Amino acid sequence: MPRATLDRQLHQIQDEVLTLGSMVEQALVKSVDALKRRDVTAAQQVIRGDQAVNEKRYAIENGIIAVVATQQPMAHDLRFLAAVLEVIIELERIGDYAKGIARVCQRLEGVEIPIPSRDFERMAEITVSMLHRSLSAFVKEDASLAHRIPDEDEQVDALYNSVYHGLITSMIQHPEWIDHSNLLLWVAHNLERAADRVTNICERTVFIATGELLEMDLDDYEETE
Amino acid sequence: MSEQNLSNHFAIETRNLNLFYGNFRAVKDVNLQIVPRKITAIIGPSGCGKSTVLRSFNRMNDFVPGFHMEGEILFHGKNLYAPDVDPVQVRQYIGMVFQKPNPFPKSIYENVAWGARINGYKGNMDELVEGALRAAALWDEVKDNLKKSGLSLSGGQQQRLCIARALAVKPEIILMDEPCSALDPIATLKIEDLMRELSENYTIIIVTHNMQQAARASDYTAFFTMDEDRAGVMVEYGETSQIFTNPRDKRTEDYITGRFG
Amino acid sequence: MNRSVVLSETGNLSVRHQWGKFFQGLFLFSTVIGLIVLGILIVTVVDKTFTLVAVTNKVDPATLADRPLEELSEEELRQILRENLRPARLRTIERDQAPLDEMNQADLTALVTTEIVKPTTRASYPLFQSLTRRAEIEAEIRSEYPDAQIYFKAWLTWDFLQRSMSTKPDLAGVRQAVKGSLWIIFITILVAFPIGVGAAIYLEEYADHRSRINRILQTNIENLAGVPSIIYGILGLAVFVRTLALITSGAVFGVDAGSGRTILSGGLTMALLVLPILIISSQEALRAVPRSLREASYAMGATRWQTIWHHVLPYALPGILTGTILTVSRALGETAPLILVGASSLINKDPQSVFSFFTTLPFQIYNWTVRPQPEFRNIAAAAILVLLAVLLSLNATAIVLRNRLSKRI
Repeated sequence: MPRATLDRQLHQIQDEVLTLGSMVEQALVKSVDALKRRDVTAAQQVIRGDQAVNEKRYAIENGIIAVVATQQPMAHDLRFLAAVLEVIIELERIGDYAKGIARVCQRLEGVEIPIPSRDFERMAEITVSMLHRSLSAFVKEDASLAHRIPDEDEQVDALYNSVYHGLITSMIQHPEWIDHSNLLLWVAHNLERAADRVTNICERTVFIATGELLEMDLDDYEETE
Repeated sequence: MSEQNLSNHFAIETRNLNLFYGNFRAVKDVNLQIVPRKITAIIGPSGCGKSTVLRSFNRMNDFVPGFHMEGEILFHGKNLYAPDVDPVQVRQYIGMVFQKPNPFPKSIYENVAWGARINGYKGNMDELVEGALRAAALWDEVKDNLKKSGLSLSGGQQQRLCIARALAVKPEIILMDEPCSALDPIATLKIEDLMRELSENYTIIIVTHNMQQAARASDYTAFFTMDEDRAGVMVEYGETSQIFTNPRDKRTEDYITGRFG
Repeated sequence: MNRSVVLSETGNLSVRHQWGKFFQGLFLFSTVIGLIVLGILIVTVVDKTFTLVAVTNKVDPATLADRPLEELSEEELRQILRENLRPARLRTIERDQAPLDEMNQADLTALVTTEIVKPTTRASYPLFQSLTRRAEIEAEIRSEYPDAQIYFKAWLTWDFLQRSMSTKPDLAGVRQAVKGSLWIIFITILVAFPIGVGAAIYLEEYADHRSRINRILQTNIENLAGVPSIIYGILGLAVFVRTLALITSGAVFGVDAGSGRTILSGGLTMALLVLPILIISSQEALRAVPRSLREASYAMGATRWQTIWHHVLPYALPGILTGTILTVSRALGETAPLILVGASSLINKDPQSVFSFFTTLPFQIYNWTVRPQPEFRNIAAAAILVLLAVLLSLNATAIVLRNRLSKRI
C-alpha cells in the first residue's frame, strides 16, 4: 500500500498525543493528591512538569506542520492532523489546570483550612477517566464512544456545585478563610473546566470520523474563559 | 453537493453517458452536470476514462477507430452527438488545451490568428490576437516578438499560447487535458491563476493527475475510477472543498489520501 | 555493504565491456569496408577517365592552318571544310546536322577534326599505370606507332558534355544523354509527385485503416515497390509505347514522332516505377506528423482538409521531398526499363519536346561499355562521373530545399 511514510508519521503523531495525554492525566492526579496531602514538593514537581507538557505540545505541532508541508495530506489524513492540532491545545490547557491546582497547594502551605479533597479526588478521577477514554476514542476514531463521554461531564458539574456550595457556606461561617476558600474554589473550577476540555477532544474525534464539526453543547457549558 | 447549489442551466450535461472503443466499454453510465463559468476538475487513476469523457465533449474521440457512444451529452439542450450536429462546429464552441504544449510551427501571431481565420473571422485580426494574448496573460511577454516562432517560447509560455489560441476562436467551454503535466511548478501555478481568471468568462473542465492541482484550482471535482469490468465510472462529484476534506465514498477517500491500490 | 568493496569489480562487468568493444569494432569494420568499396569504385572510374593516349592523325592539323584549330574563326573553319571535303560529304553533313553557316565555332572545330584531321586514339593507358610505368609505355608506343603523339588526355571535358553522340570515342559526347535524362526526370517528377503524394494523403488521412480493401491496397503498393524494374519496362512498352502510341508519339497533338518510343513514354514508365516507393515514403512522412499537431488543429474547429493543408502537409513536406529525391535518384540511374521502352543508342538530335526520341546517361554508359574498342570504356567512365555529378547535385538541391522548409517550421 502506498503512503507508508505518511502512515508512519501519522502513527507517530498519534503515539505522541497519547504520551502527552498520559502526562496530563498524571499531572492532574498528582496535583490533586499533592493538595490532599499538602505536599509542597509534589506540587513543585507538577509545576515543573508542566514545562515538559508545553514542550511536548510544541513538538507535536511542529511535527504536524512538517507533515502537512511535505506530505500534502488530504481528506481523512488532513482532518486527523487538524484535529490533533486542536486536541493538543486542549491537553496543554488541562496541564495548565493541573499546574494551577499545584500552585494553590503551594499557596496553602501551612494554612489550616479543611480541604474537600474527597470531592476533588472524585472530580479528578472522573475527569481523568473521561480524558483517558476520549483519547482512546480519538485513536480508534470511535464516534459513538466520543458521543457518550461528554454526558459524564454532568457528574463533574454536580460535584462542582456541591463543592461550590460547601465552600460558600464555609466562607460565610469563617470569613477569615475567604481568601483561602477562594483558592479552593479555583481548584474546583479548574477540575470542572478540565472536564469541559475533554468534551472538546470528543468533538474532534467526531470530526475525524465523520468530517462534521458539531458542538456537544451542554446546558452549563461555558464559553472559553 | 445539493441540487440547489447547481444552477438550473448547465454548461454541459451528460445523461447515462457510455463510451466504447470497439467492444470495450471505457466509460459507464456517467451523469455529470458541469456548472457554467466554474472550473470543474476530473480526477481519477490512469485508465479510469477521465480523458475519454473530456474528449467526448468536443468530439475529439471521433478520430479514434471504433469509438462510439451511448446516452447524451447536452450542450444548450442539444445532444452533441445528434446526427445533424457537425463535430467541426462543436469544436468551435468547445475548445481544448492539450497535455503537451502543441503550438503550431508558425509565428506567435499566426498561432492565435489561424483559428479565427479558418472560422471566417472578418474583424480586426490584430485586436483579436492582442485580446486573446492578453486574456491568456502572455501579451506582455511576447508583444515585441509576435513574429517569432511559437516553438521558441518556454513550455509554460507555449501552453499559455495554446490557451490564447483556443480563446481566439471564442469558445464557451475550454477543455484542458492535463495542461500542466509537462510544465514546471511555477509555470503550473501561472496556468492555474490564469484558469481562475478565465473562469469569469468561460467554463473550464480540466482533467488532471495532480490532485493538489485539482484541489487548488477547481470549484467542483468529479472523481472517476474503474469498476470490475475496467470501465470508467464516476464515483463522486461535488464541491472541491468537500471532496478533498470529507469525501463521501471510500474509494474517493482512498484515492485522495493516496492509498489507492 | 562494506565501503571498501563498493567500487571493486562485481559480476562480469569486464566481460560485458569486452562484448561492447567487440561489437563496436565490428560496426567500425563494416563502415570501413563500405568506404573501401566506394573508394575503389571512384578510383577505377577516375583511372579510366584520365589516361595516357597515343594519337595518330590522318591529316596533320598544322598543314591546314598556321594556328591551332581552336583559334581559327568560324569563317576560316568553314573555308577549310569546303576545301578539304567532297561536296557530297558536305551535303550529307548539312542534311544530318545543320548547314555549315549555322554552326558555331565549337561545332565547326569538331567537324574539321572528325572529317579531316581524323585523329585516332591508338592506345590508352589508365592513369595510375601511366604514372608508374610511363617510360615503359612510351617505348611500347614508339615501337608500334612511331608517329603517334603521346599525351595525357582527360576524357571528361567541357567539350565532352557538349558534344553529340558519335561512333568514334574520341569525338563522342553526352549532350543528348544528359538532356534526355533531365527530360525523363522532369516528366517523372511531374507525374509521380502529385499522384504519389495524393495517394499517400488519401491512404494516410482519409482511408479507414481497418477496412479490408484498404489493407489489400496498402499491401499491394508495398509489393509493387519490390517489383523488378524490367517488369515496369515491359508494362511501359505494352501500354505507353504500343497501346497509347497515338498519344505518346504526339500524333494527336500534331507532332508525330513516328512511334511511341518517346520521352513521354520513358517518363511515364519511370513515374510508374517510382510511384509505389514515393507513396510509401510520403506515407511515412505523413505518419511522422505528430498527433498533437492534428489534434491542435481539429480542436480549433478546423476541418480535415484545413488540417491537412495548413498543418500536416507543411510539416511532412521536408520528409516527402527527401523521399521524392531519393526515388527520383533511383529513377535517374535506371537503365533496364528504358531499354524496353526504346531509348535510342545513337541519336544526333537533341530532344526538343516530350515527343522526341531520347537516350539517357545510364543507357549511354551501358551502350559504351559493351562496345569492343577500349576507348569507349574511357568515355563510359567519364559519363559515369557526369551521372554521379548530376545525382549529387539533385541530392544537394533536395537537402537545401528541405533545410529551408524545415527552418520555416
